[in-house]
Amino acid sequence: MLELRHDTTSEIYAHAMEEFPNECCGAIMADGVREFVRRCRNVQNERHAEDPETYPRDARTAYLMDPDDLIKIHREVDTEGRKIKAFYHSHPNEDAYFSAKDKSDATEPWGIPNYPDTVYVVISLYDRQINVARAFSWDESTEDFVEVPIGVAGDM
Amino acid sequence: MAATVRIPTPLRKLTNDKAEVEAEGSNIESIIENLEANYAGIKERICDEAGNIRRFVNIYLNDEDIRFLDGKTTAVNDGDEVSIIPAIAGGR
Repeated sequence: MLELRHDTTSEIYAHAMEEFPNECCGAIMADGVREFVRRCRNVQNERHAEDPETYPRDARTAYLMDPDDLIKIHREVDTEGRKIKAFYHSHPNEDAYFSAKDKSDATEPWGIPNYPDTVYVVISLYDRQINVARAFSWDESTEDFVEVPIGVAGDM
Repeated sequence: MAATVRIPTPLRKLTNDKAEVEAEGSNIESIIENLEANYAGIKERICDEAGNIRRFVNIYLNDEDIRFLDGKTTAVNDGDEVSIIPAIAGGR
């Protein structure tokens, strides 16, 4: 179960709607009490423009987190003692599944999960209207990503 | 020149579970060679067959992505921190 605070869910939904029709991406940091949403830049369009052969998709159907944002997240882990609770991204005009590309990129380039303890949240929206969010995490026994339910923190 | 190198979780089995190791070298390329000398197998994880840094591997000198510095020939000074962090990517 991934428990998210209501504010956190609102914030990642707002990000997904603002980035529509492009995919958004970011991280949810947590210190055990509070949660912090870190919106990151999706640099897929830039990479696609530079090298369309290597990056055939643009930001409407793919995301690549800005490396500068990614190092900042790691610095926050180091300096603030927070953990990366989840990475999130959106699927504009698509359902909230963990796609083949989501799986392969989460295990590139070494064929094992880069963040085995971090949940991936996928937000589905159609025409700037949020449909649903689903969460996926690495399951050691099946060596695959499996869906985990999303709950609201504080709800009993 | 000795730099501290941050090792990502998936590669720590090569470094005896150490999250940070020391490496010698005057640039990123020689740092990677020095890592390979101490932790066999790490170079092929970081670089492809042609010797280029793999697409899904971000390497930072301090907080700068080396793609925007001098790539593998980026100079490393004593006390610098090199971070190896896998990219976050995906799509529908």
